[in-house]
Amino acid sequence: MKVEMIRDLGFEMVVEGQGEISHGYACDLLSEVMGNAKPDTIWFTVQSHVNIVAVAVITGIKAIVLCNGHDYDEETIEKAKKEKIALFKTKLNTFEAVKKVCNVI
Amino acid sequence: MEIELMENIDDLIKKIQPYFSELSVGDFMSSPVITVREDQTVFYAKELMRAWRISGLPVVDMDGKLKGIISIEDIIHALESGTLEALVSEKMTRNVISLFKYDKIMDAFKKFEMYGYGRFPVVDETDYRVIGIVTKQDLMLALLKKLSILYVHDARREEFVGVDIYRSIPKSVKIERTEFEFQIDYKDISLAGTGASELKKFLLSKNFSPKFVKRIAIATYEAETNVVIHSNSTGRIKAYVEPEFVEVRVNDNGKGIENIEMAMRDGYSTAPDYVREYGFGAGMGLSNMKRCADRMIILSSKGNGVFVEMHFWRHEDES
Repeated sequence: MKVEMIRDLGFEMVVEGQGEISHGYACDLLSEVMGNAKPDTIWFTVQSHVNIVAVAVITGIKAIVLCNGHDYDEETIEKAKKEKIALFKTKLNTFEAVKKVCNVI
Repeated sequence: MEIELMENIDDLIKKIQPYFSELSVGDFMSSPVITVREDQTVFYAKELMRAWRISGLPVVDMDGKLKGIISIEDIIHALESGTLEALVSEKMTRNVISLFKYDKIMDAFKKFEMYGYGRFPVVDETDYRVIGIVTKQDLMLALLKKLSILYVHDARREEFVGVDIYRSIPKSVKIERTEFEFQIDYKDISLAGTGASELKKFLLSKNFSPKFVKRIAIATYEAETNVVIHSNSTGRIKAYVEPEFVEVRVNDNGKGIENIEMAMRDGYSTAPDYVREYGFGAGMGLSNMKRCADRMIILSSKGNGVFVEMHFWRHEDES
């Protein structure tokens, strides 16, 4: 699915992005994400600090969904714009958020 | 993939001494060398040391021949006794122990051990002119440099870093040429990975495949993160690039790894709680590095920082 389509699933778009999403990953431990996420992934997490963008850049994650109603740090948003990583947020918990997406990938 | 850990640099040096036997003082001495003439003042010597940030100077005569050595200690004595205007020849240490440029590295080692001085001037064997100087740092740098070349070129190293079969052995690694360099000069954990991201972009710009680059970037990210979380110090990322091969070195100036075997275990972490809340410190960093690198060497001991060297050969499916 296209990154833009994530918004249509009811997630709030914070930073727009583009490209195709083929995989998903849900985890809050950065090393685990680093070691296991595939390229072109949508990543569900509750981590909101700027380092998640570095993780995304390195692993090839295209979009991040911040769950549980957390907010992104301003720095994270700036960095994501620069690196062209799409940021979304939702009040849903990680499990519910994943459920919404897993049928359409 | 093999991984070898050296707990202690001293042990390592002992093990690898035979491999350095052909290195001569002339190969690693610092040259030209800052000297002071015997008929100049102690004050002048002090200013030289301050300007060059060095703690000792060989003293020479008009012809550049070695006459003595003056150290920061001699300067302090002169300061205490108010004799900064005295001539260097009055305050210097005579009977200096020196080296010749054809002396072997082991001779230099022995002199450091035997005399406990921090530096030895190197003199020409015919006319005793000062042509260089060797400090402990020169010695260590020479060893590390040689060691890096050994990793890549010399199959004999397998005796001490483990046996492995290379996919390909790079033929002309120009180890002197740093292609990429990044200073890890921040303490903010949320910035970790900045260097790895830069390296990723750099490697992609060199037309390496995304799959190969990802492997290198992940390993570098973990090493960089470790510097930020654990070293309480600054560090540096360096990468050397060949068409089929990338070498990444990450080092820091921090407290070092006390128990390297423990640190290698999955899930073992000494990261503080605030770092864990951020999703770091899961104890998986080193194993991610091990998994991504074709070869990895970690040198560390308590108080001596950590030196990580990782080798990546482009695999067949990474074109």
